[in-house]
Amino acid sequence: MRTGSLIIILILTGFSPVTKVFAVTCSCAGVPLLSSMDTSSTESGKFYFNYTAEVHEIGDLVQGSSEINDETNRERSSLSQVFSGSYGISDHWTISALVSHVEHKRRIGLSFKGEQRSSGIGDSVILIRYSPFYITPFSRNELSVGLGVRLPTGDNEAGGVIALSEDMQPGTGANGTILWGSYSHSFNQPGTWQFHSSLNYTFNEGNDRKYSFGDQFNLASGVSWHNSNKLGLSGTLRYRWTNADERSGFTIPNTGGQWLDFVPAIQYTVNDKFGISLSGRIPLKRELEGVLQFTTSYSYALAFSYAY
Amino acid sequence: MPIKTKSLLLVLLISPWLNAAEPTPFSGVNYHTGKNITLADYNGKIVFLDFLAFWCPPCIESLPAWESMRQKIGTEHFELIAINVDENPEDGEAFLDRFSLSYPILFDPEGKIGIPYGIRSLPTSFLIDSNGQIVDEFRSYKTGDEIQIQSVIEALLEN
Repeated sequence: MRTGSLIIILILTGFSPVTKVFAVTCSCAGVPLLSSMDTSSTESGKFYFNYTAEVHEIGDLVQGSSEINDETNRERSSLSQVFSGSYGISDHWTISALVSHVEHKRRIGLSFKGEQRSSGIGDSVILIRYSPFYITPFSRNELSVGLGVRLPTGDNEAGGVIALSEDMQPGTGANGTILWGSYSHSFNQPGTWQFHSSLNYTFNEGNDRKYSFGDQFNLASGVSWHNSNKLGLSGTLRYRWTNADERSGFTIPNTGGQWLDFVPAIQYTVNDKFGISLSGRIPLKRELEGVLQFTTSYSYALAFSYAY
Repeated sequence: MPIKTKSLLLVLLISPWLNAAEPTPFSGVNYHTGKNITLADYNGKIVFLDFLAFWCPPCIESLPAWESMRQKIGTEHFELIAINVDENPEDGEAFLDRFSLSYPILFDPEGKIGIPYGIRSLPTSFLIDSNGQIVDEFRSYKTGDEIQIQSVIEALLEN
């Protein structure tokens, strides 16, 4: 599983519950509030920065939709650190860029004391968004569409003489094209309650080792609440579909599938420029391709946001 | 160099790159007097136009600061006008009664004034010079902002 690349797409395209929010109407959230979850555009001339550290514990062995007892005692985890920045070119156009650093760790079996690790710069993303309308004190709806590219800035040959498998690499080594869209609705003028939804599709190309990660579709919908000062909460359902990977045109077994997760999050707005948030991801349902796949048991993320 | 001179130089230096645009004319009933006022009534004066709502904590926090600033500067060549955008004006009126505000306050629940000014978040304020040009825009508010803004206004008044 390309955890690092997945996290990048999720964070930049709105599934990480902490990113930016300029859709809410009160500037007491000069730091974005939780509700828009990065589905909003950035105000003209403003910058927004975000750092997210996300840990994935990959310990569930799944056959189709059933979890199987892992007798190999495999341990696998990933840590992704993502730095993103957005700038409001105008009130309708926003450009965002994201770079990542990914660490993978894997250990198989109790008797085998060896551990595989990889660490390095991961892929990067540039995304441009257009918002024909956005939430203001006078408007309750926001729509954004975007187009982006994923750039193979990361290492995809980690591992020494024999490179590690693709799912253990910090980067994918391949370009990707991202189509993205989002919609938000504020239930009241202060934006105390908001609905948010976003989707994206990534077309993945092959890398120099003729490996192509499967195309990916993500859809997320949720509701958020924030009080007038500091605290925000949200709950989001996230659906993901991934096509199977390929090498030299041949399907890689045990890749691809569908996932449905619940993502709760809490955010604390320190001041009008700075916020902190904590989120988790709880798998609800999975339908995975192939005979057996290891997949995420749970994940959690800590994020810091700064608006300027 | 005195702070007022610095402030004026700063405004003059950066004003070409600011939204040095003409403000959209507006009119409305002043909550305090019940009489209609327009932006044109303040031609020749420096105007600080403040968009707010009473569900917005920084807006509430700024109210005594703006009142104090207005009293310190005086109204001979300056005026502060508040535009309340609460969609339920009754809520705004109830809140106003809790504060002793002397400056004009207009209600704009439908955004007839706020939308042309491109209001996206609150509070948002505009500084309009005596020539009727918007020379600065302020988004959000934190304690102490009024000191800097007052310096800029006083620097403009001196010139």
